[in-house]
Order: sequence, then C-alpha cells, then structure tokens
Amino acid sequence: MDQLLNKEELEFAQHMREFYRTEIPEELRFKVATGQDLTKDDIVTSQRILNQHGYAVPNWPVEYGGQDWTPVQRHIWLEEMQLACVPQPLAFNASMVGPVIATFGSKEIKDRFLPATANVDIWWAQGFSEPNAGSDLASLKTSAVRKGDKYIVNGQKTWTTLGQYGDWIFMLVRTDPTVKKQAGISFLLIDMKSPGVTVRPIQLIDGGHEVNEVFFEDVEVPVENLVGEENKGWTYAKFLLGNERTGIARIGMSKVNLARAKAYAAMTKTSRGTLLDDPLFSARLTEIEARLTALEFTQLRILSTQAAGSDKPDPRSSVLKLHGSQLQQDITELLVDVLGPQGLDFVDSTAVGEGFTDLPGAAASALPDYFNYRKVTIYGGSSEVQRGIISKAILGL
Amino acid sequence: MDLELTEDQRELKSTVARLLKSEYDAATREEILASETGWSREKWEQFAELGLLGLPFAEDYDGADMGFAEVAVVMEEFGRALVLEPYLSTVVLGGGFVNAAGTDAQKAEILPGVVAGETLLAFAGFEPAGRYDLTSPAASAAEAGEGYAVTGEKTSVLGAADADTFIVSAAADGGVGLFLVAADAEGVTVSPRTQADGVRTGSVRFDGAQAVRLGSGDASAVIEKVVDTANAALAAEAVGAMETSLQMTAEYLKTREQFGAPIGVNQALQHRAADAYATLEGAKSMALYAKLAVAGEEAAAATGEGAVDSKSRHRDVLAAKLIIDKAAREISQESIQMHGGIGMTMEYPIGHFAKRLTVITRTFDDKDEVTQELASLGGLLEPHAADLS
Repeated sequence: MDQLLNKEELEFAQHMREFYRTEIPEELRFKVATGQDLTKDDIVTSQRILNQHGYAVPNWPVEYGGQDWTPVQRHIWLEEMQLACVPQPLAFNASMVGPVIATFGSKEIKDRFLPATANVDIWWAQGFSEPNAGSDLASLKTSAVRKGDKYIVNGQKTWTTLGQYGDWIFMLVRTDPTVKKQAGISFLLIDMKSPGVTVRPIQLIDGGHEVNEVFFEDVEVPVENLVGEENKGWTYAKFLLGNERTGIARIGMSKVNLARAKAYAAMTKTSRGTLLDDPLFSARLTEIEARLTALEFTQLRILSTQAAGSDKPDPRSSVLKLHGSQLQQDITELLVDVLGPQGLDFVDSTAVGEGFTDLPGAAASALPDYFNYRKVTIYGGSSEVQRGIISKAILGL
Repeated sequence: MDLELTEDQRELKSTVARLLKSEYDAATREEILASETGWSREKWEQFAELGLLGLPFAEDYDGADMGFAEVAVVMEEFGRALVLEPYLSTVVLGGGFVNAAGTDAQKAEILPGVVAGETLLAFAGFEPAGRYDLTSPAASAAEAGEGYAVTGEKTSVLGAADADTFIVSAAADGGVGLFLVAADAEGVTVSPRTQADGVRTGSVRFDGAQAVRLGSGDASAVIEKVVDTANAALAAEAVGAMETSLQMTAEYLKTREQFGAPIGVNQALQHRAADAYATLEGAKSMALYAKLAVAGEEAAAATGEGAVDSKSRHRDVLAAKLIIDKAAREISQESIQMHGGIGMTMEYPIGHFAKRLTVITRTFDDKDEVTQELASLGGLLEPHAADLS
C-alpha cells in the first residue's frame, strides 16, 4: 500500500508502525500473532496505552479524545494496528456505544461516560439481540416501562459477547409497544450490577465461553441513562451498525493469518515435498491471496472516494463485510488443513509430555478458531443481510 | 492517496463514451459484426482522428505521449460497447512490441502509420503445439542476406487477416527473437478465422519469409512485458463488459414479469445478483491493481524515479487476471441464467457480452495458468509466523 500514499500519509504510516511496535508490549502482540485468547487485562492494558497517546478512539469527536484525521489516516491507523498484531480497542466501547453517545447524547451523558469509555474504565457489553430478534432486530421485546424517574426493564438479551466482563450494558429496549416496531425502541444504558440483572454463559462449539445470555427482571434504571430521545433508538442503532460494517473487513488481520498459514505450509512435509509445493494446496492459497488483494483495493477505492469529499456511508461497504468475512473463514480453514491430523484435537497446550514430540504451535488454536469464525458471516449483519442491502441499495431490486 | 482518474482521463473517458453511445449502438455493431472484415475502417479512422490510436506513443512518432492509464480508460469503454476494431492487436500488442523492442528507426518507420490508422499490426506468437507458451517457439529465424528468413506456423493470431505487418516470435541465438514480416512478403500464408466473440483471428504460415529483426537480443522479457500490458488492457475491457452485463441484468430483473410480479422480487435472484455485484467490485479493484502495476513501471522507466520492477509487475498482473477470470466467468454465466431463454439468443445483447468475456478469460492464458505461475513466483504474500521465526 505504501506506494499509493502521499508523503504525509507515508510518514503517518511509518509513525504508527513504529509506535505499535515500541509501545505495545511484545507479549501481547505475540498472543495476537499466534491466535491465543486475550484476557480482559490484555485488552484493557493495550487500550489504555493507545488512549494515553490519543490512538484508542480516533473516530470520536476531538473534544472527547478523537482525532481530526482523514479517512485514509483512520484506515492506516487500523491497518497498521492489525499488521502489528496489537489487541484492538474494545469494539463495544470504541466503535459502538462511544460514537452513539458522542453523536446523540446530551452534554451530561457525554461527560459522564465518554472519558471512562475511551479508557475502558467502563467495560461495555452490547444488549441488542434477543432469542427472537436476530437479523430482524427491530422485533425485540425487552421492555422498559417509565415509572416516575425510572424505567423498569424486563426481558432477555443474548449473544452478549464478553458480557462476563461487562460493567455496563447498552441496550435497545421497547418503550412503546403500540406503534410500528421501529418507532417504539429506545437506547438505554444499564449498570450491570443493578439488582435483577443476571448473566449466564453460553458454551460455543469452539470450546470457549465468549458469549452470554443476560436476563433482566424488574431492573430499575434512572431515566437520565436514556441516550438521546425516547423512541428514537432505532435511528441510533442503524448508525451504530453502519459504523460496525466499515471496519469489519479486517484485512490487516487476514494478511497476518494468511502469512502464518503459508509459513506453516512451507515447513510441513508431504510425500511430495512441502505442502507449499503441493499444486492443489498452492493453487488454493494463491487464489485466497489474490482475493484478499482485491478486497484490500476495494477498501482503498472506497477510501479514495471518501477522501475526494464524500464522507457518507458507502453501500459498497457491504461488499467489504461480505467478502471480508468469507476470506477470514477461508483462512482459518486453510490453517486447519495445513495441520492435518494434528489439528483435530481441542487442547489447551501443545505440549504432549516428556519423550513425545510437541504438537505444532498452531494446533491449540486452529480448529477452535475455525469454529469460532463461523460467527463472522453471521454477526454485524449476516451475509444474507449484506446481499439484501446490495440488492436494494445498489442494484435497486 | 488518490485512485481516481485525473481530469484529462475523465474527459477522455466521456469523449469515448459519447462517441460509442452515438456511433456504436447494438444495431451498428451487429452490422459491423456481419460485415466481411468483421470490423469497420470508418470507425477505425474515427478512433485515429480522436487520437486513441496514438495514446501510448511518444510525440516523436505522432503519438499523444500518454501511457497505459489512458489506454485502460479506452479499453474499459470499448468493453461496454463490445468494440470489434483491432485496438488490442494493433495498438496494445503490435504497437507495444515496436515501442518496447524496436530501434528508433523502426519506431519512426512503423508507429506514425499506426497512430494515423493506416498500419495494422498483429503479433504472431502462439503455435499449434504450445498452448499458451510463448517462451520456446518452434518457429525459427535464419540469417538470410541482410536480414532473416522466418519459418514456422503460428495460431490464434489476433488481427491476422488484415495485418500489414506481423511481429513474429521465433527461436534465435539460443533464445527468442522478434521479427517483422510484411504480410505481402513471399512465403506468408494466412488462414483467417473468427473467434466466438466475433473478433478476427487466424493461423499464419511463414515459409522462409523475409524478415527484419525487431530490436536486438533475447526478447523473452519484452514478450512478458507486452503480454502483461495486454492482459491489463483486457482486465479493463472485461470490467466494462461485466459492468454493462450486470446493469442490463439488474434492469431485466426489474422489468421482466412472471407470476404477476417482476422476477427481481425473488430473493434467490436478488442474492445472486448481489454476489455478482460484489464480484464486479473485486474485478474493478484488480483491473486498477494491474493498471497501477503497468503504469507504475512505465512511469518509473520514464522519470528514473522509483524502481523498475518487472517481477512485481508480472506478479500483480497475474493476480489481477486470476480475479478477472473468476469474475468474468461468474458474471457472464449468471447474466445468461438470470435472463433465461432470451439470454441464449443472438438477437439479445447479453449473450454477446458473455461470448466476449468467455474469450477474454482464455486469451494469452487461463485461470489455471495464471494461478500456477503466480504460485511459482511465490504468490503475493511473504510467509511469516511469529511462533516459527
């Protein structure tokens, strides 16, 4: 990408490259580079270092810790972060609730929450999906009934990622059941320590505990925790989901993971040489590399139009989500296939025991990642939802 | 970062688009297609008057002194209208070879005629037994008098029937040489054919035909470079053809009614059209990628700034062709399928786009070829694993 950047952009890229590699602890970056799970502390540590230097929430308004950057600089910031294997700022804070509060919240609510959100002094959880409100999010049922200066909240949220660490949860709740479903939704902030909030883990097929169900039973929430206006929550949610789509291609991360699969293939012996020399494997790998390059240039083309003056959400970002998620999945599958029989166990450690050969380093994460990454074509608007957006917004069908 | 067209390029694009819209509609094209030569001298002269035939050549040779970026703009517009004139064979390939390998005297002799629309060129590289191989021709050149005598059979020669001069690859000095052979020279026999897309091609026999060497030295690197340029040009043409196909298909989905409603209300079709659109975006990105690779090398060579990196140009064009091939296949097949029976007919334009796209994906190489070659060059990404280093 460097040859496409102008002098200032290139200097900025070099600055970020060096910053990430000198300021973020090597052990954290190694964990990301080798697909290990990050702890809560890892994520908080990384984000606080970024925040100290003004690099945690550059997409926010400047007065709340954001940066007055061009779209190209924001792209470089994220791409270089992924290439350096830096744990990314917590999405729930940095790209979901933060921008909603900053854009639609009152001065009081901004001052109260934004600094703590940027610094992960508050760990936010997301309370959007419900058992019967998935892709059809607007059909959500969790209710908030106004009673004096409080809302009384009842219902159930699900797929609450890392909710086990959550201090607060940002919620879509139904405040008016009598109108069209999109018109009766509000955006409410709830302290997860409130009486009546219960978090239950959901065990996933990747062997881990990443998501939760959250139950609300007569939870009392002060009315000042409402963001923006009552019954305008759907507008805010669409804004949030639009933000989510643009960063979701994760091209830098896919490059790191693909380079890793390739390095493993180069040291994996087969009966005909190394796996990298195998014609079928190398054809598959080569095609993925070309597809990833195509996606990167699609992202750069969208950026280039934005740089030329239009900062509107571009419906082409649905292409980034659609193809970016497919590529992420294909790359996790490639690594599983590189490992062959040694990639099939669910193990915490690759050490086998004295006198035995250790499993390859990737063995502990490859298959769990493969299963975990089934999620990427489902969340943030499933592939089917993205196709729907393309067919309506771009093709006019 | 700026990936947009320059103002001059935008103007060129709209000039060409306007000309084709008014002078090259489907009915006109059909007439040209059915004519004896399969292309129109009159249109060719119009292109010459507009300066399109001289875009990549220096002013010394009456050219516009522009570069591949402008050629790509023209090719994309040609793709939208399925232009049949021999731009690829004469300007991109033939002119490209003369420009890249010729001596100053040869350029001065040949290029002004190309720019004026008076000289047609054709590259005779492929052979009956070699599939896509251009590195080891069976045709040979022997020194004869002050020049050479070329002997061998060439096939899939774009523009064979109407070429004034052939640029023939032949074994010479233990490598590959390029030779200029006049079409009316003794010992030259042309057997013309028409490709599925209507573009004229043919086989050419050279039986001790009198030849002049184009430039000197081994031509392998020049052949790779000019074919890469032609592939990047095809990528642009394919993007024009694919975008038009998809626009026509989306329009058809909105207007064709079955079961009392436009067929586009069916999600099965909406989602496939959306996939085709996403594919098109990837193809546009890679046509741009190939353009930057070719134009970047050109600029580095012209200004002396930056590295002239032929390996990365070759790799980048291969990667682009891989994606273009996949995309052209998907979009051409899906366009026919979503049109239904009407897409199979010669009278409806969508099938003509499918034919051109099908030929493009197999011109100079095919997807398997480019995949293997890209892999053999190490692909696009350095292997790296933090836990292995």
